[in-house]
Amino acid sequence: MRLVLAMSALALVASRPAAAVELSLPGELGQLQVHGFISQGFLLTSANNYLAHSSRGSFEFTELGLNFTMLATDKLTLGLQIFSHDLGPIGDYRATLDWYSVDYHWQDWLGIRAGRVKLPFGLYNDSSDIDSARTAILLPQSIYPAQNRDFLLAQTGFELYGYRGLGAAGGLDYRFYGGTIFLDIRPQPGSPITAVDLNVPYVAGGRVLWAAPVEGLRLGGSLQFLRLETHLLVPSSPGQVAVNLPVMLWVASVEYTVRDLLLTAEYSRWRVRTESSNPSLFPEGLTFSERGYALASYRVNSWLQTGAYYSLLFPNVSRRGSLEGRQHDAALTLRFDINPFWLVKVEGHYMHGMAGLSSSLNGNQPLSSLHPDWALFALKTTAFF
Amino acid sequence: MRICAFILVGLVTASGAAERPRSAYVLIVHPSSRVSRIDRKFVAEVFLRRATRWPDDTPVHPVDLGPDAPARIRFSQEILARSVASVRSYWQQQIFSGQGLPPPELPNEQAVVSYVLSHPGAIGYVTGDTPLNGAAVVEAN
Repeated sequence: MRLVLAMSALALVASRPAAAVELSLPGELGQLQVHGFISQGFLLTSANNYLAHSSRGSFEFTELGLNFTMLATDKLTLGLQIFSHDLGPIGDYRATLDWYSVDYHWQDWLGIRAGRVKLPFGLYNDSSDIDSARTAILLPQSIYPAQNRDFLLAQTGFELYGYRGLGAAGGLDYRFYGGTIFLDIRPQPGSPITAVDLNVPYVAGGRVLWAAPVEGLRLGGSLQFLRLETHLLVPSSPGQVAVNLPVMLWVASVEYTVRDLLLTAEYSRWRVRTESSNPSLFPEGLTFSERGYALASYRVNSWLQTGAYYSLLFPNVSRRGSLEGRQHDAALTLRFDINPFWLVKVEGHYMHGMAGLSSSLNGNQPLSSLHPDWALFALKTTAFF
Repeated sequence: MRICAFILVGLVTASGAAERPRSAYVLIVHPSSRVSRIDRKFVAEVFLRRATRWPDDTPVHPVDLGPDAPARIRFSQEILARSVASVRSYWQQQIFSGQGLPPPELPNEQAVVSYVLSHPGAIGYVTGDTPLNGAAVVEAN
């Protein structure tokens, strides 16, 4: 029923060309702009369940967003976005405040946002929900994993941002933030371990992008620190085990745009230390993961874009050799813009390795028992205004 | 003789046309602006909303034409160095991640001229043959 409602809403929006809705507010208040999007996707894998129960084909791939932005003065902007999604076991159509902020743009080189603000990590993390802004259906999952959306998308706190022109040397775009992330505990059916609580006492970091003097070239670096704290109920233990995870993530980015061609490459390493109050029940350790991709996208004409990427994921660099310790992902995409407010995408992936797969989505089988070579077909349509 | 006169008239006409090429677009600002030349890179930053103030610290109000307007297509290629579709993708990212809003898109050149005339600090672009009604032309270099 919810799927039918989503599809009906999509058809309604897509059938009428529309621009942003602008409302004039009374008195001294500025204008209010309203934008929105609705997406419905389909996932099918040749083997293994990926992101959803995809081996039998899954429509559990829906996104809806509606945002309101008011330019209160030349320097002050207020905004919020309501977001609801479903992707296999996550989302479940719950409506959430995706972001909301009070944005004071003091000078071009310094502004401050307070509220729930999307995390600038790599080139595309803060826009990873926005299907209309890219060619691919799935961003390279090595650096932008859809199942980690709740951890990586937004933080509640503040952000300092700005842009500084450097004359002949180009310009710098920078964002620095600090705050926390509020997370819900999701039950993991079949898992012997139960999380009692989950807190993020802090998340902090920044991203600096240099617009180089070469037209269309951007180079950047992002760094993020966060700490996860949880209490776990472990079978065979009468009490709880406190587990803390200090995490450091960084990504180096390069993007080159020349007319209708976009070339991007990113490389990232994530460092996760596991601290346990009872190492015999929940072992301590230090893990480095390695991630990267190279992407090309070309706009053939006003209604057709093509894209391709190759993405690599090693969740634990010390176990690269095993099939469950790596994921190679080669993807090809066609994007059709039916009109300026409605698009359809088709995408095929060839996958090698089982990293990135979820044991709980695959009948709690160990990853080593899943198929190492498999294919993913994805179809998605999005309407937006 | 008639042929020579015909060729001469043709050459004069052609050279006159060459002296007055029809611009794909001209940049216009509010008549109170004291700017006559402007850095192309600054114009790009203004239309991508990275720069929001004129050098004298007054707010700048950029205004766009619709995505299919020929002047928009040329302006986008020459000033922003990217296609209109690429610029629209950029704004999709900005809008839905809460980073900013695009300049208003107006349906035709006359509406852009009216907007520029009624907003001190405004900057827009129109085709070269559009009546400017007092809006000031600036050169991008």
